[in-house]
Amino acid sequence: MAHNELILTDVTKRFGGLTAVDALSFKVSAGQIYGIIGPNGAGKTTVFNCITGIYKSEQGSVKWRGEEIRGLTPYQIVDRGIVRTFQTIRLFSQMSVAENVMSGRHIKSKQKLWHGIVHSPWSKRDELANWHKVEEQLDFFNLSEFAAIPTGSLPYGIQRRVEMARAMAVDPTLLILDEPAAGLNDKETMELLQTIFKIRDKGVTVLLIEHDMDMVMEVTDYLTVINFGKKIAEGTPEAIQKDPAVIEAYLGSEDDDDE
Amino acid sequence: MKTIQRFAYPIFFAVMAILPHVLDSRWQAVAITFLIFAVVALSQDIILGKSGMFNMGQALFFGLGAYTTAILNNEYGWSIIATIPLAILIPAVCGVLLAGPIVHLRGDYLLVTTIGFNIVFVQVVQNNLGGITGGPNGIFGLDSLSFYGIDLTSQVSVYYFAFAVLLLTLGIMRNLAGSKAGRAMHYLREDQLAAESIGINTRIYKIFAFALGAGIAGLAGTVFAVQYSAVSPEAFDFIQSVLFFSIVIVGGSSVPGVLIGVFVMFVLPEIFREFATWRFFIFGFAMIAAMILRPRGIIPATFGKIPKFLIKENNHGA
Repeated sequence: MAHNELILTDVTKRFGGLTAVDALSFKVSAGQIYGIIGPNGAGKTTVFNCITGIYKSEQGSVKWRGEEIRGLTPYQIVDRGIVRTFQTIRLFSQMSVAENVMSGRHIKSKQKLWHGIVHSPWSKRDELANWHKVEEQLDFFNLSEFAAIPTGSLPYGIQRRVEMARAMAVDPTLLILDEPAAGLNDKETMELLQTIFKIRDKGVTVLLIEHDMDMVMEVTDYLTVINFGKKIAEGTPEAIQKDPAVIEAYLGSEDDDDE
Repeated sequence: MKTIQRFAYPIFFAVMAILPHVLDSRWQAVAITFLIFAVVALSQDIILGKSGMFNMGQALFFGLGAYTTAILNNEYGWSIIATIPLAILIPAVCGVLLAGPIVHLRGDYLLVTTIGFNIVFVQVVQNNLGGITGGPNGIFGLDSLSFYGIDLTSQVSVYYFAFAVLLLTLGIMRNLAGSKAGRAMHYLREDQLAAESIGINTRIYKIFAFALGAGIAGLAGTVFAVQYSAVSPEAFDFIQSVLFFSIVIVGGSSVPGVLIGVFVMFVLPEIFREFATWRFFIFGFAMIAAMILRPRGIIPATFGKIPKFLIKENNHGA
């Protein structure tokens, strides 16, 4: 089996006449914290949607462990160890924190459909084992005290943690975070950094989109910068900060009324 | 709420268990009707309440079960008990076949499609397709319930048959709530994209919900056929589906809510028979008021239980 590498080659996604992602290529190696940055509307989230099967790119290839995953459905991609969070948090808001995290165990649980009608001693053990896995994630993300509370009534920062706990409950190989720091205050962002490092230390590769430049520079090992769907630079955070094309397209645009 | 439920369920079951012995035959019939429609409404709850699919054709599956029993008994001479497996299986398979091509449709489109199925079904049985459905009059003169030669003709035995079916349904719903399949339904109801993105093949679980709901409704159909010794098309009309749909929405997709809904829709009209036409006028307003005052239903849905060991620190939590 090939390494846990994600390789995008010439991925192109169009919406009508608009080319949201234009011949984008990059490679995420095992164990990295890989960042994708770019101005608003640069096509970052579209790239994530192409990787996770929500969109199918018109051209190019998305290879994971040497296997072509372009065109697979989202749940098939989760089955291969790639899990994502959303920029706009998408939790099951009427359900409790524990139940939300339990959804991450769905794909690991071996229960059959008929266990929904009649339980067996084996299915009860399977159920309990998965709830214990949920307990581990709740401890890891410091969410134990909220276990029984519906997620819709929790503050934003905690909802973000629940979403990450849900993704981590899948035991992913590659975790994709779409703007994990959006809407967080400074303290929460610092905690998030620590959490991301801890996740990486568990052997999980992390791919993230972020707007918060300070955070990106601090947390990532390697960066790709895109604008208008095209890659304009890639490199280590130090190299990117000095890159004139990046400064012009991204950092320079902060002064403009860029949409 | 928890303590109310702890006492309410045993009391409810105890009352239901002795009920036929304190009622006269007219009210026994009403009680049987309550049990049958409660089962159908609960089966609708699996599809509409738990999985969030706007199914407006539940009477179709109810009718399929009733007609399966009636045809097998009347045409082929099967005993009523022997027809039960097929009365569950045929609606369930039809649920899979009908739901398969349509479950990807969004709420309102799905609703219109299921209405279409229901109307087609009623037309088919009314026009006596294949010469076995008895046309507009339906099929009558069915055998009464018998089990290994023991004749269970009395209304009381039909009542206990219906009660057993209700208990079975409640048991299945309880098992469903504590299983992977049942949770998957909740997840896809809450946010389909998030469910897919966390690894749930939503299509499978939507079709499963239809199959399970259809099978249970089919079994209720058998009880219905037994109670009246007859089946006829108008009992499975589209307007019946609307009632089951309303019961789940107004009741609120919880077992007590659905049972209250069935009571209000089918038992109260019997109690207030003197008011005749006025009763539907009042119930219409009651439904409107219920939805405005309690948009999530009289007793809103509570989702799956989480194990106690997870709630340990909740007392000083948020």
